[in-house]
Amino acid sequence: MALTVRRIAAVLGFVALALFILLPFFQVAQLSIMSTLGTDEAPLGSFTLMNYRNIFASPALTASLINSVTYVTLNVALTLLVALPAAYAFSRHAFRGRRAFFITLLAFRVTPPVVLSLPVFILFSQLNLINTPVGIALVHCVFNVPIAIWILESFISAVPREYDEAATLDGYSTVGFFVKFLIPVIAPGIGVAAFFCFVFSWVEVVFARTLTVTDGKPITMAISNLFGFQTDVGLVMAMTVFSLLPGLAMIYFVRNHIAKGFVVRS
Amino acid sequence: MHRPTPIPATRLWLLLLPAILTMVLVGVIPLFIVFEYSFYDIFTLDSRVWVGGQWYVDLLTSARFYESFLRSLTFSLVVLGIQFPLGICIALMIPREGPFRTTTLILLALPLVVPWNMIPIIWLSLVDTDTGVIGIALDRRNLAFDYKFNALHTWALIVAMDTWHWIGLVAILSYSGVASISPSHYQAASIDQASRWQVFRWIQFPAMRNVLLMALLLRFMDSLMIYTEAFGINAGGPAAATTFLTLDLGEEMRGFDYGPAAARSMIYFAMTLFVVWVFLRSWAAQQRHE
Repeated sequence: MALTVRRIAAVLGFVALALFILLPFFQVAQLSIMSTLGTDEAPLGSFTLMNYRNIFASPALTASLINSVTYVTLNVALTLLVALPAAYAFSRHAFRGRRAFFITLLAFRVTPPVVLSLPVFILFSQLNLINTPVGIALVHCVFNVPIAIWILESFISAVPREYDEAATLDGYSTVGFFVKFLIPVIAPGIGVAAFFCFVFSWVEVVFARTLTVTDGKPITMAISNLFGFQTDVGLVMAMTVFSLLPGLAMIYFVRNHIAKGFVVRS
Repeated sequence: MHRPTPIPATRLWLLLLPAILTMVLVGVIPLFIVFEYSFYDIFTLDSRVWVGGQWYVDLLTSARFYESFLRSLTFSLVVLGIQFPLGICIALMIPREGPFRTTTLILLALPLVVPWNMIPIIWLSLVDTDTGVIGIALDRRNLAFDYKFNALHTWALIVAMDTWHWIGLVAILSYSGVASISPSHYQAASIDQASRWQVFRWIQFPAMRNVLLMALLLRFMDSLMIYTEAFGINAGGPAAATTFLTLDLGEEMRGFDYGPAAARSMIYFAMTLFVVWVFLRSWAAQQRHE
């Protein structure tokens, strides 16, 4: 009896949660297939695929999609490349300053981008990194490298130390050990780290906006630029649907590992 | 857990170097630039006047700073008070295996992949009285929802939006703690006829505690320093009712007040460091206690 009541409560809870989370997405999808300005072909409020056609008719919008995918991919690659060795060092070795390093990493992860956006802009202007995907990919490391080190460290610590020693005895170098042994066993961890880096880079707005003055606009800015005297809400929502697709694909890839790897040690 | 062993210093540094260089370039150097600017009145980047600690004194003696701080702190406490109990409940209700588990986790992760400037746009469209699902429903019942001029309504909208945005992170992190419990613990508890509350208090909560502390740090700082989403709803209004700490900073930057903005940035960074330090201390104290 008690079990049935609990099960019903669980189902109701799940339905409520699903409604709460899906309602805004439903709204986006609904408006994206609605004519919100009204044309001769599609009167106001009628069903239309015009909004999606308009995306591909606009070079600025399609270019922004490519820009975003480019810097996010670069950022994920760069983050994993620098975070993996550091996570290994954190997991396996005691060293002086370990704690100070950890505090610094955490502090930069939680520092709001708006605090760093001005000096990053000045620094990157001198390095000719404005209006390029490389600039945004680099600056997003400030919050993604700490997250990646944290996640990867948890996964590496789950691998027994004897595993490293066996590889060292077999004569593998550090790089050889990483490529041949470590990366294959912590592949799910790399997937989870890549997922969170991808997401945090994809959704970030302040740095991406500051660093693209004339060119290389990300999708988030392309959407903001659609707002004006007479905003085509339908087009905005169709673009929003596109801005969700890469994230949805990433969720699908890591769906079985998403809740693993958040082991926290001091 | 075994104790990490010392290794040759050169190998250690080679492993850490790429990460350190990256963090220096995008974190430490920018911070030093802000630090330097915070002592100048900046007209253009080439013409500036030394003002010493003037901006710091101005900011720390202005009532507006403390008002914004209190507002941000209140916002943080409200969203943490909602998101943590709710997130933990959700985590406890996720089954340990099966398709239902994966579906729930995917559902929870969905809002996390929405670009931050789209989140206020989506929520504003929800409460739109002409086309929004919630807006139309409220309008039909003659319930006026005025997020533009009613401070309480603006707050409600931002809190609902933030909960929608972040509940998944709290729930996923809590769940990762619960999922690490071995089934033998539950068997032992059921043999002892432990109540639901006892199972939570003595088995599930301890397993979650460390990830929860990390989630608390992330959520506390992210909500205290909320910018893009809150600005998008009502630009700090009505009458500064939702002007949080970072919205003041954004305003100074848009007005090209780089000197005061730099001093403000340094103070916010100092607050960040302080909070991180407090968290790590309480964490270390807790682990000594165990």
